[in-house]
Amino acid sequence: MARWSMVIDLDKCVACQGCSIACRFENNTPIVSPEEAELGREMLWNEVFPLRAEEGDIASEQSRFLTRPCMHCENPPCVKVCPVQATFIGDEGIVHQNYARCIGCRFCTVACPYGVRYFNWYAPSWEEGLEQHLNPDRVMGNGDLEGPAIRPRGVVEKCTYCIHRLHKARARAEAEGREIRSGEYVPACVQTCTGKARFFGDLEDPNSIVSQLSQERRAFRLLEEAGTRPKTIYLEEG
Amino acid sequence: MMNETLSRRKFLRLSAGVMGSAAVMSTAPRLLNRLASDPQSAVWLETSTNERIVPTVCSMCPSGCGMLARIADGNLVKMEGSPMHPINVGALCPKGQAAPELLYNPDRLTGPMRRTGERGAGQWEPISWDEAIQTVADKLNELRQAGHPERAALLYGETRGQMRGFLKRFMEAVGSPNAVSHDSLNIEAAKLGIYLTQGIYDLPAYDLENSNYVLSFGASLLEAGRTPQRTVSGLSYMHRGRANRGKVVTFDPREGVSGAKSDEWISIKPGTDAALALAMCNVIIKTGRFDSDFVHNYAFGFQDFKDDDGKDHKGFKNFVLENFDPRRVEQITGVPATTISRIAGEFAGNRPSVAIVPAKGGLLNGGFGGVATAMAVHCLNALVGSLETPGGVQIQRYPDCPDWPELPADSAAEAGREAERIDGAGTVFPVGRYAYQAVADRALDGYPVEAMFLYDANPVYETPGGQKFIQAFEKIPFIVSFATFMDESAEYADLALPEPTFLERWQDDYIEGLGYPGVALRQPVLEPLHDTMNTGDFLLQVAQKMGGPVAQAMPWDSFEALLKDRLQNVGTDWETLTELGVWITPGYRFARRGSEKWINEVVGADRRRAPRDGRFDFFSRELSCILGDLSDDELAALNPGASGDALYLPHQEDVIYEGGEKEFPFVLNVVTLMSLGPHSYNANLPTLQEISGMVVGERWGSWVEMNPETAAELGLQNKQQVWVESPFGKVQTKLRLVKNIHRDVVALPHNQGHKAIGRWAKDRGVNGLEIMNPASELFTGLASFTNTRVKVYAA
Amino acid sequence: MATWHPKNEHEQIILAPVKQGVGRDRILWIVLASILLAGIAAWARQFVLGLGVTGMNRPVYWGVYITNFVFFIGLAHSGTFISAILRVTGADFRKPLTRAAEAITLFSLPFGVACIVIDMGRPDRVLNMIRYGRFQSPLLWDFTAVSLYLLSSIVFFYLSLIPDIALCRDRLTDVPPWKHRMYEILALGWTGDSHQYHRLERVLDAMAILMTMIVITVHTVVSWVFGMTIQPGWHTALIGPFFLLGAIFSGTAAVVIVLAILRKLYHLEDALPIGLFNSLRKLLITFTLGWLYMMIAEFLTTYYGSLPEEMEVFWQKFTGDFYLIFWGMTILVFFIPLFIFIFRAKDSIPWMVTAGVLINIGMWMERYVVIIPTETRPRLLYELVQGSYRPTWTEWLITAALFSGMGLLYAIFTRLFPIIPLWETVDSLEHEPEPERPEPRRFGERTAQV
Ligand SMILES: Nc1nc2c(c(=O)[nH]1)N[C@H]1C(S)=C(S)[C@@H](COP(=O)(O)OP(=O)(O)OC[C@H]3O[C@@H](n4cnc5c(=O)[nH]c(N)nc54)[C@H](O)[C@@H]3O)O[C@H]1N2
Ligand SMILES: Nc1nc2c(c(=O)[nH]1)N[C@H]1C(S)=C(S)[C@@H](COP(=O)(O)OP(=O)(O)OC[C@H]3O[C@@H](n4cnc5c(=O)[nH]c(N)nc54)[C@H](O)[C@@H]3O)O[C@H]1N2
Ligand code: SF4
Ligand code: SF4
Ligand code: SF4
Ligand code: SF4
Ligand code: SF4
Ligand SMILES: [Mo]
Repeated sequence: MARWSMVIDLDKCVACQGCSIACRFENNTPIVSPEEAELGREMLWNEVFPLRAEEGDIASEQSRFLTRPCMHCENPPCVKVCPVQATFIGDEGIVHQNYARCIGCRFCTVACPYGVRYFNWYAPSWEEGLEQHLNPDRVMGNGDLEGPAIRPRGVVEKCTYCIHRLHKARARAEAEGREIRSGEYVPACVQTCTGKARFFGDLEDPNSIVSQLSQERRAFRLLEEAGTRPKTIYLEEG
Repeated sequence: MMNETLSRRKFLRLSAGVMGSAAVMSTAPRLLNRLASDPQSAVWLETSTNERIVPTVCSMCPSGCGMLARIADGNLVKMEGSPMHPINVGALCPKGQAAPELLYNPDRLTGPMRRTGERGAGQWEPISWDEAIQTVADKLNELRQAGHPERAALLYGETRGQMRGFLKRFMEAVGSPNAVSHDSLNIEAAKLGIYLTQGIYDLPAYDLENSNYVLSFGASLLEAGRTPQRTVSGLSYMHRGRANRGKVVTFDPREGVSGAKSDEWISIKPGTDAALALAMCNVIIKTGRFDSDFVHNYAFGFQDFKDDDGKDHKGFKNFVLENFDPRRVEQITGVPATTISRIAGEFAGNRPSVAIVPAKGGLLNGGFGGVATAMAVHCLNALVGSLETPGGVQIQRYPDCPDWPELPADSAAEAGREAERIDGAGTVFPVGRYAYQAVADRALDGYPVEAMFLYDANPVYETPGGQKFIQAFEKIPFIVSFATFMDESAEYADLALPEPTFLERWQDDYIEGLGYPGVALRQPVLEPLHDTMNTGDFLLQVAQKMGGPVAQAMPWDSFEALLKDRLQNVGTDWETLTELGVWITPGYRFARRGSEKWINEVVGADRRRAPRDGRFDFFSRELSCILGDLSDDELAALNPGASGDALYLPHQEDVIYEGGEKEFPFVLNVVTLMSLGPHSYNANLPTLQEISGMVVGERWGSWVEMNPETAAELGLQNKQQVWVESPFGKVQTKLRLVKNIHRDVVALPHNQGHKAIGRWAKDRGVNGLEIMNPASELFTGLASFTNTRVKVYAA
Repeated sequence: MATWHPKNEHEQIILAPVKQGVGRDRILWIVLASILLAGIAAWARQFVLGLGVTGMNRPVYWGVYITNFVFFIGLAHSGTFISAILRVTGADFRKPLTRAAEAITLFSLPFGVACIVIDMGRPDRVLNMIRYGRFQSPLLWDFTAVSLYLLSSIVFFYLSLIPDIALCRDRLTDVPPWKHRMYEILALGWTGDSHQYHRLERVLDAMAILMTMIVITVHTVVSWVFGMTIQPGWHTALIGPFFLLGAIFSGTAAVVIVLAILRKLYHLEDALPIGLFNSLRKLLITFTLGWLYMMIAEFLTTYYGSLPEEMEVFWQKFTGDFYLIFWGMTILVFFIPLFIFIFRAKDSIPWMVTAGVLINIGMWMERYVVIIPTETRPRLLYELVQGSYRPTWTEWLITAALFSGMGLLYAIFTRLFPIIPLWETVDSLEHEPEPERPEPRRFGERTAQV
């Protein structure tokens, strides 16, 4: 069974936010009004943050940036607390989000130490014609809803490792009667990365690029001490 | 150190224990995370029924990345980077990703319109394209009949490929020399710097993949730069794509993302890059680590020399040794002498190394000093022999396109073409080739303009003190804007003739930044959404309507046909080009020093007056030829920042600031962001607005960056509202304290503060250009982007 | 039907408000009901538009609603504490207070539960909690514990109310027929037979133990909603006891307020002697000090541990965005009440009420200051995003509605049923008990024979 994982090389990342926006267009995250944005209600599943740009930091040090999708923790605090299993960890290690079931209690959002979960404060909307660019893909099952399908108001959403792309790749492989090949399933943010800083693959496969990079000396995980065991792995700068 | 007494047995026991507890620990979370009933036993994917992928080229910035458009059920739903395109190889920055918001933007112009009310009052009526064509054709014919075709002028923005030549040809066919590129707002200084030294009038390419050491002078390589995706890919490869990691050093008064992501960021006093580069030359010469073959055999003016009249001239070497000792330059630049020496040593010692001439950044400082800076930086490349070498500077080659056919004999047009240029380039500004922003001054000074065309140009917004264009427009009876949006300039036009977005039209693009030639093709990814017309098609139809020699000069049926015709020799057929969207001739072939190719293509090829002898000019012979025509008085009127030989050698000029240092303590630095860039319509893509201020955690607006220590002295607080005031005006915005910015500089990101364009761009933040020195540089006609001083105080 | 009721000296006084009926309370009821209705309208609007109408944001995902939830559940502890815990420990002074206190429990719990629903993004999916409920989630524990608590409180409350309902049925003959009918039905045919009393006492004793366990569980579980995450400031084992103590503290203080009001309004001076207040005063002194102890235990360990992410939250409270609320809370909950209790409150009901009010305001602030600052400095993001939170009018209005609703139910209740238990307070009379009357037997007390 595959264990999907992403590696992000911070040495190559140039904080361009291409990943953020690729994710938006792939996954139909709505634009919020400037007033909403001021409240921090933007919906970018993969945000890029400046670190120590502000006053009070060490002047001589160069600024740093962090790009942050969901960590797809192997021990995910979000999953533990969800009362209705609207978020759950799948067989292949992806932490799913079921929009049809979520009751919007936001327990997961406060439990996730990485702040990667986003709540639909209002029903998403697109102004005059912009909705035409929405991605029609959606993952369905037993009346449940995942993937880029438009989310209703009041539910939580987050990075899914572009789960629908996995389904697509798998459907293609199945149609051709074969196993899914490495490189066939690539999330949108990985595909677009301008610095070629993002890698994706199967941690279970020792030959995959992510397995190999995860062994590098530079490899680390965010909040390793929290014991969440992220499958999104970073490589240090320098 | 490991505890030596830890025996093997103990170690085994230990690890067994660890493993045991690991087993417990890995089941425990399972219990917490799992539930017996899997919520999704049967899962399927629903998607559109009809999909296709169309290749095209991004036009949101000059990188020109290849794109693949995913069309699902007739809608554009996603952009991906084209893996075939050599600039981005599958990558796409946020602007490219956001392109669907451009296509479906609700504020686009939906059809041709004629103004009905006062200029700028916003009253328009729809007209038909035929009517528009007739009107324009009549107007141009009227000018031709009056014997003044030169009174038609066209201002154009960022455009490459056939369109650039086509616009110029159209104007020439009509009989006007006035096709004015906006180069004087950006790359002109750099181009001139390369031209006056290497003799090539173009931006070079840099072989970053093979370079060991990169110096960047005020080129925001990772955020803006000339071709951001090209430099991002190159530097990413330099850092991690190969065995030995290269080093990138950025000189910039503001760190920004480019500084942050460089191996070293060095803060520099603005406008002093030339001194810094020359101090590094000084160190390299002193320590003898220059490429002596190159400087002696393929360069001119390294040593002192005598000219034909027997007059003694100072050579680069002695000039630099005498004037640019690092300790002295430390006083000028604020960069410690030890740092200068160290970086110079590293630069010379880690060849191939390359110094990047900025596209704009620190150059446009309002005096000839900007060009001198480009020359100085480029001399670093020459000194270490990095011209036309792997890992060094390359010449940008272009696809093989036939020359445009001879223009038909047309006396009216020929006379017009000889007229003085509206922008004064080559006359008022003896060294310049374009002086875009000066068009307003010249029109106001009485140069008669009777028809003005704006193609991808928004001078009211994008030039320093652009408001003067509104006054200038009053003198121009007929103005046509081809803009896709009702931008600040189009608001004053008589006809608004919208072009479809780049996603809906035929256009080609030359691939720049890799050296080797390549062409990429834009094609309509879907039928145009609105009643728009490719400006190429429009001008072709106007020419037909005008008839006579103009029609003869423009014989193509459509712009698409023109492209087919002109791209027939690029190496592939039209079908392949439309299918792949890109064609390259990969592998840059370096010319051997002194070879015929070297002389014809690499050094001196574009010189108009100085010898094309394959010698790199440390002492600019071209410049001395150009300025040699001027009388002493004329020269003095240009207020040169250096005299004698120094003027022709790369030198440091003191920036003449507008606004005294006492009253206006800060240099205003308007910077380009990755998210918005300088192009107006980017500000009307809501997604880009949302991420626009990531570097400081702002969004949907402007801010001014200041060093916290300076702010503390002024008693200003982070995030408070402040006035930024220059001698030309003031704007109010939010103060953001940023640790890594020069204490004498405040930075204001560009491309906010629009007065038009659309709902998301309008009335959001401030436009730094409104308070900028509107003057043009006297030698070259460059805009003055960096010689304005401001004060900042609480609002 | 032969019915026996123990004689209670204060019967007339206690029954007076019930006899009197609605009367001039009407204005109060209308005011409270209108606030409640306005709140319901605000909530309906929130339901239609989305939680965006609140000031909550990212990362402050939980705001005033959850604060209210914790506060109401805390308030609810008053009744159970007074009637169950004190019953178990055999503190007799509690007797006249039990019903007034339990009523607080009963009427705050539903509003606590309502807070959860109000805070949900999709209240229409609340049944998913049952359809897909996952017991690994602390929220489910909450859900279960609070439901159980509500259920058992109702039973507990009702059982102890039965003899008095029967009394109303028998004594209040001139009330409107519907009211009489209501007493008849609710009295469940109580006759006052000694077996009935005997059994009632035994059941109540047993339930008291159960309730004590539930009450401890409930508030601990409420705290675990926070404590089970790894967010700084929440992730501490102390949070359970801290919440529990706070709950009992604010609950007891609320009892003081309610009693004082009832005493004044319904002229129950004799039934609620000042001595009661003095007993509560002693309890409250203990709680104040206990609360201080918890505070010190929490903040001192945090400070010495100095984990960077913990310190972010710590400074948010001590000197950061929340310093006013934090220090205000400390002053309101600790310094002023302690001063009042020690130097002023003995034999002074106004001072007791003042302290009670301050403590309750302070405890609401404490809930706020436990929940929000942590959210503004989440574990990873504290370097990246710095949250802030300003509740909107919707949140304030709904909060006001919750309190009004609770007040309204309480006010109505006092007009329908005796707010001081008649049957339980008889043994505080000087009389010898009636022969049939069963020996009051306290739980756990050894009988004399042994
Ligand atoms: N993302 C994006 N990229 C773009 C574009 C876009 O639209 N979007 N547009 C493209 C275009 S048209 C252009 S012209 C280029 C412009 O690209 P750049 O030339 O890189 O443009 P700027 O950001 O204006 O300037 C670069 C840096 O120069 C610094 N600087 C200012 N004054 C001085 C000085 O005196 N000395 C030194 N050493 N540094 C100084 C500034 O702080 C800034 O960081 O960008 C291109 N790239
Ligand atoms: N302070 C400061 N000023 C700057 C800069 C800066 O960094 N700082 N940057 C300068 C630089 S480098 C540049 S390149 C310029 C940018 O200048 P330009 O490249 O001219 O870009 P825009 O401002 O977008 O103006 C072009 C107009 O063309 C219209 N348009 C958009 N798409 C199309 C199309 O497909 N076809 C046609 N026909 N029209 C279209 C839009 O309405 C837009 O307003 O700004 C310059 N001004
Ligand atoms: S990063 Fe957060 S949302 Fe993602 S799996 Fe981990 S805890 Fe859950
Ligand atoms: S908000 Fe939704 S996903 Fe998150 S814990 Fe609640 S029900 Fe689960
Ligand atoms: S993996 Fe997919 S869902 Fe996750 S951040 Fe990247 S693009 Fe978004
Ligand atoms: S796209 Fe790549 S380079 Fe750009 S911010 Fe994301 S990870 Fe970094
Ligand atoms: S770098 Fe420029 S050309 Fe490339 S995708 Fe971004 S905006 Fe488009
Ligand atoms: Mo530009």
